[in-house]
Amino acid sequence: MKDLNKEQYQEFLFGPAHPGSGNFSVKIKLDGEKVIESKSDPGYLHRGFEKLMEYRNIWQNAILSDRICVFEPLAWNLLFAEAMEKLINIEIPERAKYIRVILAELSRIQSHFIWLGAFFSASGFDAGFKIAFGYRDYILDLFSAVTGGRVYPAGYICPGGVRKDLPRDIESKILKVLGKIREAVSYFEKENPAFVSRTKGVGILKLEDAIRLGASGPVLRATGFRQDVRKSEPYEIYQKVAFNLPVLKEGDAYSRFKIGLLEIAESVKIIEQLLDKIPSGNFINAKMKFGAAFNFPDDREVYVRNEIARGEGTMYVKSKAGPKLERIKIKGPSFLHLIPVLEFLLKGTEVADIPIIYWSLNGCPADMDR
Amino acid sequence: MRNIILTLKSKFGVEILKEEKKQIWLKADKKNLLKICSLIKKNGFNFFSSLTAVDILEKNVIELIYHIWSEEKKTILNIKIKIDRERPEISSVSNVYDASQIHEREIRELFGVNFLGNPDLSSLFLEDWSGPAPFLKSFDWRNYVRKKFYSKENKRERGYFT
Repeated sequence: MKDLNKEQYQEFLFGPAHPGSGNFSVKIKLDGEKVIESKSDPGYLHRGFEKLMEYRNIWQNAILSDRICVFEPLAWNLLFAEAMEKLINIEIPERAKYIRVILAELSRIQSHFIWLGAFFSASGFDAGFKIAFGYRDYILDLFSAVTGGRVYPAGYICPGGVRKDLPRDIESKILKVLGKIREAVSYFEKENPAFVSRTKGVGILKLEDAIRLGASGPVLRATGFRQDVRKSEPYEIYQKVAFNLPVLKEGDAYSRFKIGLLEIAESVKIIEQLLDKIPSGNFINAKMKFGAAFNFPDDREVYVRNEIARGEGTMYVKSKAGPKLERIKIKGPSFLHLIPVLEFLLKGTEVADIPIIYWSLNGCPADMDR
Repeated sequence: MRNIILTLKSKFGVEILKEEKKQIWLKADKKNLLKICSLIKKNGFNFFSSLTAVDILEKNVIELIYHIWSEEKKTILNIKIKIDRERPEISSVSNVYDASQIHEREIRELFGVNFLGNPDLSSLFLEDWSGPAPFLKSFDWRNYVRKKFYSKENKRERGYFT
């Protein structure tokens, strides 16, 4: 038996080079080719959002909430707006709800494209990486037309509704992009044998381990558990739309990829159902004006959860009288996927599988570190 | 659901603070935490969703809130526990909920709360940090940055001191 603390094992770092792992690294101990122990080393993107948001007012925070996760700023925008609305107890117009859900689903699709692209890249399937990122750009063009920003919407989904109305003829543009997305999905459905052999049976996560370690979203659904906040606790207008929850049983890297692909198809369905039904009317509650002075009620607290592309995102908010918040706690799904789940999965695997397992978890170092 | 709450009430003196749609806010005592967690876990609350710490300076307490979700009951329990701010210590629930281990590690670093029985409380985000717990209300980061990194003598940095 070798001693873990003596230098009988080789140690190396996976990351934090940006193309390899994002702003994140894993300390790995090796015995030959086998991983004996892995320790996630987060913190490269720690910006202290929870503290920053205590120093800013509601509108500044709405804009700041974009930056929590680089991959899907709109989802965090939505979560922050929902937390604020529940806190101050205001209704939002029906039109705003439709716009929000359409954007949230588009955001989910583009986030999945980044994920799948990076996943392909890590497994040596470079063409797939370029195709995924190319198709993502169609969605970014839509974001640019609607919110004004390609990646960061600068608080487009704001407390009370959305910051401005949809531009004219956007419906036909969205429909065109949905066609493109279908094209991409059908392309990825043609299984690349090299990719399949690299991912099938790799990084198997069992259902009880997934629940025990706090996995959520696609990672949890790939282990055979039917759970989605959109279904169990529907927010906005998710109770009005019909969609399936893709669930697979294997729990390996390949089934996580498959879930991602199926979810893109479901999101397309959701958007199609909503597009021709968008009601007319206000897009923001008349009481809320973006940028106007705003004071919170004293001593209220709420806890909200959303299904963002990576899994369960939550916010706890406590207010005090005045323009600033008392406390805000943000939990991103990657916090659990990239620390306990990744450490668990890497144990006993081979060096060559490290990037495959890492990228199959759909992690985002930004929402882990906050 | 009713039964669990009633048992918690009679056995551990848990107080119901408010009930919302799909959420119940409870207040409990520090010494009963582990027993409460094992009991609700047996009754289907097996998703450890999040752990929040709130620093309440004027009352001299740190409030810990355990957010635990049950898929079968479609309910979140938010269990509030107050601990002393001068000696922030509480027993860890990582034996019951494995996922809580990493949350406790984060709170330990950012709020300085000691979780007794947690196997790993090493620092998570901050590297070579020797200052006080940075997310406490008493920690003024502007002051800290001024002291640590800026100098009044430096012409370009003088502006930060006015």
